[in-house]
Amino acid sequence: MRDTRIPNDWDRKGLPGWCYHSAELLELEKEEVFKTHWQIVCHVSDLPNSGDFQTLDMCGERAIVLRNAEGEVRAYHNTCRHRGSRLVAEDHGNCPSAMICPFHGWVYNLDGTLRGAAKPTSYPPMDKEEFALLALESEIWNGFIFVRFKKGPQPSVAELLGPFSEEAAYFRMEQQVPTDGIWNEETPVNWKSIRDIDNEGYHVAMAHPALQDLYGSTYEDEPYIDGISRSQGRYTPSQGRRWAVRNYKKFSKAQDFLPEDLDKTWIYYGIFPNAVIAITPETSLFYQEFPLGLNKSVIRSATYRYPNEDRQQKAARYLASRIDRETVVEDIQLTIWSNEAMASEFFQGFYLSDLEYGVRSHHDHLRAVMPIYNVEEAPKEDDVRALSAQLQSSEAS
Amino acid sequence: MTSEAEDFALQKTHLSCELGVSGSGARRYAAAMYFYVQGHITPEILEIYRRCCHDDVEDPIDLARFEGLPVDWLTR
Repeated sequence: MRDTRIPNDWDRKGLPGWCYHSAELLELEKEEVFKTHWQIVCHVSDLPNSGDFQTLDMCGERAIVLRNAEGEVRAYHNTCRHRGSRLVAEDHGNCPSAMICPFHGWVYNLDGTLRGAAKPTSYPPMDKEEFALLALESEIWNGFIFVRFKKGPQPSVAELLGPFSEEAAYFRMEQQVPTDGIWNEETPVNWKSIRDIDNEGYHVAMAHPALQDLYGSTYEDEPYIDGISRSQGRYTPSQGRRWAVRNYKKFSKAQDFLPEDLDKTWIYYGIFPNAVIAITPETSLFYQEFPLGLNKSVIRSATYRYPNEDRQQKAARYLASRIDRETVVEDIQLTIWSNEAMASEFFQGFYLSDLEYGVRSHHDHLRAVMPIYNVEEAPKEDDVRALSAQLQSSEAS
Repeated sequence: MTSEAEDFALQKTHLSCELGVSGSGARRYAAAMYFYVQGHITPEILEIYRRCCHDDVEDPIDLARFEGLPVDWLTR
């Protein structure tokens, strides 16, 4: 049972400002926060046929997930064993029977084994297993495909998200199908500034009039505990003052397979460090952010729907996407303001409300991975890596 | 699991797939690699298919003939 109570006396500070503007720390985050934690690539319905693939670029690494000839989903590094070129250059597509490196033309079977090197007479005999694509650890949870580049502190996805599994199963997300593909949107902020906004609902009444109109007074956050958080908003009984909300409330209808307490609710499962799976009665979606640079990130997202939706559900889904889109635009502005604050030498740091404990709990998870987040004064950039290693080592001993 | 005979037939289909179709050059080259490994085509013919990999309208058999390479097995 998750104890989601907020402590009576907690440290309301956020991470030190330097953590948002240190290039050395960002490099450590790529290694120890991103590559060692589960990342969502796509949904099984993005790969309906043998040879269908989806790629994910993240922190200098490249993944490909594909459905093989036996219908199984497999994940590999999207890296040719010859010169390391990306094997598949497109975001998604279909390789009918093999993957071909666009650089020199090495050919790989859909099970990742090497079919053959280009100009094979220029090589000694090559073992198809020895030169196979490097497999990536992967797992499917309620239809969502996760990969992990390196072993890390998290358990399996099933265990990690176990506390939500019973509730999530009601939604039958594994049966859903894509809507409009995977979106990528770049924003000029450090990735943590995106998560800092998304991890609290304190700003909803002020910044998100549509969400407030939809579920504002019922909204509640549970903090990150053991790597996962949960938020939910149940539709308020009012008709809705805004056009999209009013009509969404009118058209959104209960799915016959959902228990009553879930049929008028938007739920958000936060997955440390950088992802959310959100569920509405009409859709599920994931969104996640990856650093592209110190002050440049990409928000990657995709929405899935039920395959047999009727016109009313389709209309409700359209209206939900309008509400969501409006919210994203508002949030992006907030991330910019939050991020620039962290660069000001006069800003004294966060002083968080009880309604922002989710931010603190996310920061605490980061601190658990790398104690250097506890260092208040900015270390010299050249010292960050060594100091981080030293603090990790003293914490371990 | 497909049997070897089924796989052979499938790869034959890929090898002779229609010219001009998007991705068909790659499909033919991947199949050519299969038949090279099986010992049915020569390294020179495989190289013809590699040259045509990114050119969906180029006919590898025509190109092989142009280069003076035997195409008996390919046209059988």
